[in-house]
Amino acid sequence: MEPVFTMASWAALCLGGFFYVIGAVGLNRMPDLFTRMHAVSVSDTLGVGLLTLGMAIHSGASLITVKLLIVVLVLWTTGAVASHALARAALHDGEKPVLVGADGRLTPTDCVTLFPELGPRLAQPLSSEAVETGADQGDPAAATWIPGRSRSGDTNATASAAAEMGMAAMRINMLGALGLMKMFRIGTMSSARSRGRTRDRGSR
Amino acid sequence: MFAVAILAVLAALALAVVRALAGPTAFDRLLAVNSIGTSAIMLLALFGFLTDRPEFLDIGITYVLLNMIGTLAVLKFFRYGALGHAQDPERDEALR
Repeated sequence: MEPVFTMASWAALCLGGFFYVIGAVGLNRMPDLFTRMHAVSVSDTLGVGLLTLGMAIHSGASLITVKLLIVVLVLWTTGAVASHALARAALHDGEKPVLVGADGRLTPTDCVTLFPELGPRLAQPLSSEAVETGADQGDPAAATWIPGRSRSGDTNATASAAAEMGMAAMRINMLGALGLMKMFRIGTMSSARSRGRTRDRGSR
Repeated sequence: MFAVAILAVLAALALAVVRALAGPTAFDRLLAVNSIGTSAIMLLALFGFLTDRPEFLDIGITYVLLNMIGTLAVLKFFRYGALGHAQDPERDEALR
């Protein structure tokens, strides 16, 4: 193997290991679940990606590289889905994010009081299953949040465009996850609407 | 050089185990368990390269899929208290 490739492999592996440890340290040092998830996402994306890149450079163009690619793509995709599901389950369970309060200290804060639109959203099915309900557009707090349509309160076009792109990526991820779950007969992540659907089809 | 990466992943694994034992909520443990699963996959791949037997990657692919299914199953359990749909006599009646 050429020395250039050896050095590149070295660098990627060392950097990957570094970011991997950074994520694990953050997992222990951060104050609450949501910041811990934020820390772990470093090792789940950058750490895994760089380690895999190092191994891929080492193995060259071969079947092994294809397998590495499969591993890293599945890890990246399912990492996003699992984080989404974890945060949602935690919020549903009443987990309170630790935020800086008025006195400058870290205090657990109920995010539904901070962001009232979270209340109806938590009660809604997942966004990938949300359908047009014809909700009143005049009141952003009461309106159901529908992906692909920016709320009337949004003025920053760039931010909302970025959010919509993120939502599109998340929906693609969710499709894969929901397909897998259907395959294993676990059901869907969401309750009422999907139950109705099952009944309509008469699945048995 | 793979030994260095393996050491880093092992250190991360140990830290994740600490978090899994410390908790405090079930979601923290779940996050740590997910992280342990990812570490195991990376360990498998790196160990395969260290010993010049990259066939370990096939096991790694299996672990990736199992890891994800496991996490989502546990999350669903936490949210609904069951893995399948709730037993609903009315619904069963409607299905018949």
